[in-house]
Amino acid sequence: MPAPGSATGGTRRTPWALLALAAVLLVLRIVAGLLEAHHPPDIADLVVWRPISGSEGMARVTGKPILYDFTADWCPPCRLMKREVFADPEQARKISVLYIPVRVLDRSREDGRNPPDVAALQTRYRIDGFPTLVVVSPGNQPQVLNGYPGRKQTIAWLESAVGKARLGIRPGSVTTPGAGDSIGR
Amino acid sequence: MNEALILAMLRQRAASPVRLVLLAFLFGMPLLVAVGAPAIGLSVLGDGYGMILVLAAGMIGQDLSSGVLQLLFARPVTRSSYVLSRWIAVSLAGVALCTLQALFCALLLTLRSAQPEMRTLLLVIGDNVLLAFGLAAVMTLFSSLLGGFGDLAILLVVTITGKVLEAIAQFANSPIMGRIGTEIGIFVLPKIALAQVFGSADVPWFMLASYASTVTLCLAFAIVVMNRKELSYASSG
Repeated sequence: MPAPGSATGGTRRTPWALLALAAVLLVLRIVAGLLEAHHPPDIADLVVWRPISGSEGMARVTGKPILYDFTADWCPPCRLMKREVFADPEQARKISVLYIPVRVLDRSREDGRNPPDVAALQTRYRIDGFPTLVVVSPGNQPQVLNGYPGRKQTIAWLESAVGKARLGIRPGSVTTPGAGDSIGR
Repeated sequence: MNEALILAMLRQRAASPVRLVLLAFLFGMPLLVAVGAPAIGLSVLGDGYGMILVLAAGMIGQDLSSGVLQLLFARPVTRSSYVLSRWIAVSLAGVALCTLQALFCALLLTLRSAQPEMRTLLLVIGDNVLLAFGLAAVMTLFSSLLGGFGDLAILLVVTITGKVLEAIAQFANSPIMGRIGTEIGIFVLPKIALAQVFGSADVPWFMLASYASTVTLCLAFAIVVMNRKELSYASSG
């Protein structure tokens, strides 16, 4: 019988089963991390995107600027931005709080042409590549981010754009710092 | 696990006026914002991090410093049962508060004609349930290492270390250091975004394995640490 207070008996039973489970899960974690580093999974973004119709009315009622995400399924930088920015729970929550987020998905390659509301927005904001983020607030000129400049710069741009949208900005603010795909039309 | 220990922990928390005031503030503040700005929706809640932290702070350390553990372990209570009971008690209290807050918020939003979708509400509640069990496990480990509110100090130091490493990694363009910083961040804030689990084309295995391994590692090490502690009336804990 183990002595009272020994590390193996009495009230001090070593949790072997829990330690073994923790070790197995740690190995799984390392393996999953290595696999995902080489083959990033296609994970859902967490932003609650609003439909195009009704978004302008919602922006007027709430006083929040609209964030248009002009994107396409075939565009690699768009997928990277989705994974690094829109799939991040904290950033997704910020975007949902600060903006009326609207995704404008280009279907011209897949379907030959875009739905009328998508085409109208692309023409209005002169979209010629993906991804393009446009922040629009009533009475102010749109702010545009062409391409995907990386996670940190995109987050900084989103934070500054909402401040400018509230204060009002000078016309024609376009930022083109990052990678993007031409619209090809 | 020991039902009496779980109830004792919950009573201990309910008897602390400072904690109750902090919890009331963290519980009520987002609800007030929701009433004032219903357009924000359930995003106003954020996660239940603050409330869970208030419940968890000093969960073992306070017993260690105050001499309660010396008395408790004079009874036939296993140390693993004590550690797991503390973890379960904090997790359940966190789950209850976060769930209640989400339900209240949904009710207020509905009354203000901004009814949230049922799916969103369930995801918010589910995320908070997992956060409560995860963060409580991390705090269980930290609290077993230091007396009093030393767990908060450890949490602060580890979190800042992670952030500093990430910042240095950006400056020095070192992906390895950046990854270490990120891993530290994942360790101190174990959570799962259920929207990604249910909405993704691929299963986010790393997220799931990270969460499960953090919880099990923290609990296992907390029990080992407690098993190795020599407690006597003469010791300082």
